[in-house]
Amino acid sequence: MNSQNDTVVQVNGLTEKSNPRPILGYTDRETVKLDFDNMPFKQVKYWASRVAKWFRLNGFLVLKSSEKSYHVIFDRPVSWRKNVSIVAWVSLQTKHTKLTGWFILQCIKQGSTLRISPKRDKPTPRVVYRSGTQNCQILGFLRYRALTKAILADLK
Amino acid sequence: MVKQIAVYGSYRAKVPVRQRYWKKRADGVRQRYWKQTKRKKTIETKGRYEFSGKGKDLYKAVVKAHKIVPKGFVTVSAEKFVEQPERYGCPGEWIDREVES
Repeated sequence: MNSQNDTVVQVNGLTEKSNPRPILGYTDRETVKLDFDNMPFKQVKYWASRVAKWFRLNGFLVLKSSEKSYHVIFDRPVSWRKNVSIVAWVSLQTKHTKLTGWFILQCIKQGSTLRISPKRDKPTPRVVYRSGTQNCQILGFLRYRALTKAILADLK
Repeated sequence: MVKQIAVYGSYRAKVPVRQRYWKKRADGVRQRYWKQTKRKKTIETKGRYEFSGKGKDLYKAVVKAHKIVPKGFVTVSAEKFVEQPERYGCPGEWIDREVES
């Protein structure tokens, strides 16, 4: 066998060094945000509409973060106290344990965060539904999202 | 509160080992003290940066944060972090592990 003409047809093991990156997210205190994990889209839409109507939050944006996981962002700015009260109301009404867990973590941090970048096998959250006005907090969120995505694209 | 970019996850870093020692005070009480040794240990833990500021500073801060892992949970302006990254973090590497937002 001529060694000069040998070609590699199969490689076993690690071929490329994995390069884990930190997760990038968006944090603020004035925007009402909800993180629904393991909930169908219809229910997410129902709860988002109900919250927007009940608390007069003008409009909302739904992002799909992974299979059956959604993020909701509302348009009207509110104080941190009001924000906590709204998310607590939703947690209580929906009896959603993951949302409650996420909410407790946000209370500890005193600011709510939603993911923008990919995370392990989950892709970047993408916009799937819009309702009502989108020109206040949602606009700010989308601007920061675009900036973060641009940073991530440059880092690749 | 301003809008912020959160950079978070699990990381591995080498930190100096702290050693405790006791010293007898003048009033007779045995007081415990800590000193930082030259030895280093590798730790795996979670941390987060919360960057605020202008787009250009945020860009630079996020790029730097890929190499410099936070010392715990840090809220800092992107401009200050870019000027003195070693004050808010230490060299290390981010690792792939489940983390809550």
